[in-house]
Amino acid sequence: MAKNGELDACFERLEKSLDKMIDSIAKGNPSEAIAEELVACQNDLQGSMKLIETWQNNEARLQQLRQEVSLFDTQIKDIMSSLWNIRKEVKATQTTPTATTKKHQFTTAELLAFARRISRNTLPAPGVTNGVDMTAPKPPPPNADADDSFRLQSQPTQNQTPNTSFGASFGPGITSGSTPGPVSAATPNTVNDTQPSTQLPPSQPTKTVTEEKLPEHIEHGINPRHGAVFYPWPTQEHIRSGALASLQRLIDAGIDPKGYDPGEVERKKQEEEQARKDAEERARQEREAAEQRMREERERMARERELARQREGGSDRRDSVAVGSAKPKQFTFLGADDDDDDDDD
Amino acid sequence: MESGPMSVDSAPLEPPALPEGNANEPTHGGHSRFEVELEFVQSLANPEYLNYLASRKFLTNPAFIAYLDYLQYWTRPPYLKYLTYPTSTLKTLELLQQEKFRQDIISPDLAHMMIMEGMKTAVEWHREG
Repeated sequence: MAKNGELDACFERLEKSLDKMIDSIAKGNPSEAIAEELVACQNDLQGSMKLIETWQNNEARLQQLRQEVSLFDTQIKDIMSSLWNIRKEVKATQTTPTATTKKHQFTTAELLAFARRISRNTLPAPGVTNGVDMTAPKPPPPNADADDSFRLQSQPTQNQTPNTSFGASFGPGITSGSTPGPVSAATPNTVNDTQPSTQLPPSQPTKTVTEEKLPEHIEHGINPRHGAVFYPWPTQEHIRSGALASLQRLIDAGIDPKGYDPGEVERKKQEEEQARKDAEERARQEREAAEQRMREERERMARERELARQREGGSDRRDSVAVGSAKPKQFTFLGADDDDDDDDD
Repeated sequence: MESGPMSVDSAPLEPPALPEGNANEPTHGGHSRFEVELEFVQSLANPEYLNYLASRKFLTNPAFIAYLDYLQYWTRPPYLKYLTYPTSTLKTLELLQQEKFRQDIISPDLAHMMIMEGMKTAVEWHREG
């Protein structure tokens, strides 16, 4: 309201100076000073008007800001209210009780142990590609599922006669681990573990590979896995050297494998052998002990005889000495065997 | 194995005891039933072996088919974790339950195709991109 007072004062000064000006004009004696005062008052008034205009603009701005604040307050209140309601709803929601049983039937350690155990059979060693060009982009997965593709591929082979080339390789004739024999031309040779497959998808871009390929003899020398093939199943060699093959050998030998334990049989055989050796050793020791006893007995008897002889020899000498000095008082039989050097042991 | 094609024993009713157990079951040539059946079920993953079994008419023998059905206990715990070739073994065991597959696997072409696909898949399944 200070502005109003200031504005009133300006108006008042303007009116006064205007009155003075009118009076001076009416009297026919206009004064220059009064005119200048009138102009000054008018300028003041204009300045005040501008201030009022600014003030009013500010006031309008304030009003607008207040409205915005009020609007935002309302929004905040709405949000707070919504949050509160949501919180209430969340708190009121019935939670599913946590399952007390374990989700899995195995522990992480068991899982890792399993992964470690199967990894060598599910993932080829580095560098083993089975003839697949690993630089080529990965082919898209087939649309048809495995069963369908199997059916489609297997349809034309319905009437084929069984090929015994695979079967023969599992037969008893070559169970000694020899490499399966050659197969017919119609049968692909897939049984040789040491040969990389050359019949994998023909669409392999091999140009760059052949350009960088080393000679065969060098390749063998620098790459121990050259030509290695990875099979995701037990190979023939595994099957031939396993428990099933040993059972077949037992059957071939006319032994019923049920209840038969070669380890137990071997152990019994070893025990019998050991018992036989022990018996032999015992007999030998007894024989040696008997011989030792006999030897000791003979030595003892010899020593006794020797002692007896020495005793007899000593008395003979004493007798001889006594004969030299005095007459023997008693007759002593010296015997015929009085030779000291006699050694008949 | 080279026993007579029709000499398959009737399948036991119960799966064998686990190796952790102290079951004093009679051994078969020094091997437990668990060991023999584990080896056999995994050998089935070899397409050549399947083809061999088919050519020996095992796969049309009802007793052997019943045995294949019995072998499905390997698809369930606790036996499942003993498979060292789990993927191919389980897939083959599943296929062997289908009569059509048992008939078709006598074809060397199908066995060869399975070998090629298996070898290719074995190196491609973990490829990036």
